[in-house]
Amino acid sequence: MNKLPSLFTGIFLIFGSAWLGLVNYPLKNLGNLQPVPDEATGGVLPPTVSGLAVAGQKVYAANGCVECHSQQVRFSPLTTDIDKELGKRQTVARDYLREKTALPGTLRVGQDLSNYGARAGEDINAIHRHLYEPRSVNPWSNMPSYCFLYHVVKIQGQPSNEAVIGLTGPRAPKPGYEVVPTEKAKALAAYLLSLNQSYPLPESPVATAK
Amino acid sequence: MSNDLSNQPDDLTAPERAQIDASTSGAVLLFFGSAAFWLVFGSLLEVVGSIQLVFPGFLDGLSFLTYGRVVQAATTVLAYGFATPAAIGIAIWLTARLCKVPLRHHRMLISAGIVWNLGILVGACSIIAGNSTSFPLLALPAFATPILFVSYALIAIWVLFTFNERKSGALFVSAWFVFTAILAFPWLFGTANALLVWNPVAAPAQTPIALWFASGFMNLWLVPVGVAAAFYIIPKSTGFPIASNNLSLLGFWTLLLFGAWTGGAQIIGGPVPAWITSAGVAASVMLLVPALAIGVNLHLTFQGHYAPVAWSPALRFVVVGIGSLVTYWVLSAINSLPLVNSMTQFSDTNRALYQLGHFGFFAMTAFGAIYYIVPRLTGKEWPCAPFISLHFWLAATGFGLVVSGLLLGGLIQGAALNQTIVTFRSSMEFAWPFRFQAMLGSVLILGSAVSFALHFIGILLDTRKNQAPAMLAEREEKSQEPVAV
Repeated sequence: MNKLPSLFTGIFLIFGSAWLGLVNYPLKNLGNLQPVPDEATGGVLPPTVSGLAVAGQKVYAANGCVECHSQQVRFSPLTTDIDKELGKRQTVARDYLREKTALPGTLRVGQDLSNYGARAGEDINAIHRHLYEPRSVNPWSNMPSYCFLYHVVKIQGQPSNEAVIGLTGPRAPKPGYEVVPTEKAKALAAYLLSLNQSYPLPESPVATAK
Repeated sequence: MSNDLSNQPDDLTAPERAQIDASTSGAVLLFFGSAAFWLVFGSLLEVVGSIQLVFPGFLDGLSFLTYGRVVQAATTVLAYGFATPAAIGIAIWLTARLCKVPLRHHRMLISAGIVWNLGILVGACSIIAGNSTSFPLLALPAFATPILFVSYALIAIWVLFTFNERKSGALFVSAWFVFTAILAFPWLFGTANALLVWNPVAAPAQTPIALWFASGFMNLWLVPVGVAAAFYIIPKSTGFPIASNNLSLLGFWTLLLFGAWTGGAQIIGGPVPAWITSAGVAASVMLLVPALAIGVNLHLTFQGHYAPVAWSPALRFVVVGIGSLVTYWVLSAINSLPLVNSMTQFSDTNRALYQLGHFGFFAMTAFGAIYYIVPRLTGKEWPCAPFISLHFWLAATGFGLVVSGLLLGGLIQGAALNQTIVTFRSSMEFAWPFRFQAMLGSVLILGSAVSFALHFIGILLDTRKNQAPAMLAEREEKSQEPVAV
């Protein structure tokens, strides 16, 4: 009794159907999504991001930030993500066009970061302070310190204009020293600032009035 | 088709069995031994991570011990250093026994085992050093996975070769499960690495593929191997045949049919086409069918004689494992319902379910299988029964603390995350005591891993022969149940 070929065929067909649906279909459809033209500025949506921000995503992935931070706003009214101001609209597949790697995350041990850039404004020093010593910004935070992405150097003559200012807490530099971000820290901060889905997309318009 | 399926594991004579077991001994012991080593290492990383979650100052500010890297290294080491080699060892041993042929070319398998462990070493170090891809269960960087592939190719070729050489006769259901798993793993791991890690496709397409992989890794790789072990060990240890071939077939085909589709249920309301999440929810609910078919079939196989669970180490672990599998599928089905999921999606409940499936089911079943298999490979019994008991109770208590803590904590944390008026800070504070409980559990699991690894070294070094089998309790004198054969 040699039933292996029929067993093999059955397994092959069943695996194949799931593969077609969950691998091949996304590949052919979501994989070919293109940015849409932005009539207001003549650019595209989602906007292209800087090379520094692209490099920053590698730092984000390398340090496992996704273990605590999601990057997806779910739709209303099933969830309260939009009411909680994680974003103005649902995150859709096209939003990930700005990224090399889609990291939607599975846990919210920390805050959702889909629109971190919109919340943080332009204050890059505040982002560095947060990354260098999170508990000096929020004493209750359980985020790890990313001080290893920074150099503590002796001030030679004039202080560096890149130095992180306003640091407090046990890791604050001693007098005469300053904390300077490495290239990785600068890239990570640029990436975090680039996380901003305030623009509308045809499949996910920004709700104007509630 | 049930005529092609046997409900008896095998009808080998004792000398035939001994000859087959002697031939697989080196390779299987290598896979089990390395699994035990990585289990200790992975559990240690898991302890560090769970302490950091509760006390964020613990080993803080060190690049290679930052929370994200430690957790990803722990997950990777436990999935590819412990679970996968344990599954490979079980699959090799079951294949030889079920095909009734002694292992040939065992050097090929031993080289494969060495190469595999080299790949895990390279991979674990590179994640700690900051090269993770951050995809769930695919954190290994692009240069580590080809090493694993070379190794796996050697193993899979050997298994398929052995299936081809098998002695005629109806196949036992475990053989079907092993055969499926051996084919599923390279399909899953190859596709996912090719499309996400080696030559990444456009980011919008990555999410469904990553989810397909993560659910397939559990439902089509670890589950078939664990269930194959249970289907083999329970009839062997109780002396009763598998209760129903039809239930075996139902469980087998429905697992295959629905197992690969459940990924979408992880991302309800997320950035994937709505039909993918709907298919995921439907498949997660439909997995109740194999849960019932496998659970009821194995329960009926005991014919009400659960007494051997008290003294047989293998049976005790396997029964807990299968119980966890059924619980895992039932809770996953409930968790996939959109109304529940909107609350639990980003909470610790996810981590509870992961632990329930990967540790509660797979690791416990694999321990049972290892306790059953290793004495047959070495010709020696486990030297110290209280050690097995210690391992069992530490593992069961630790795992119970972890899962119950994360499950309950996750529900409260999820409710807080979903309430507009509750701040994010409160969701963390609600979760804290439960994460503390999970941390204690992870320490007990580390203890259980150490006791298991020491005992494994013990049986390899033991020089005594022909002592009595290690029993966890006195066998009842009047008992009809045979000792394991």
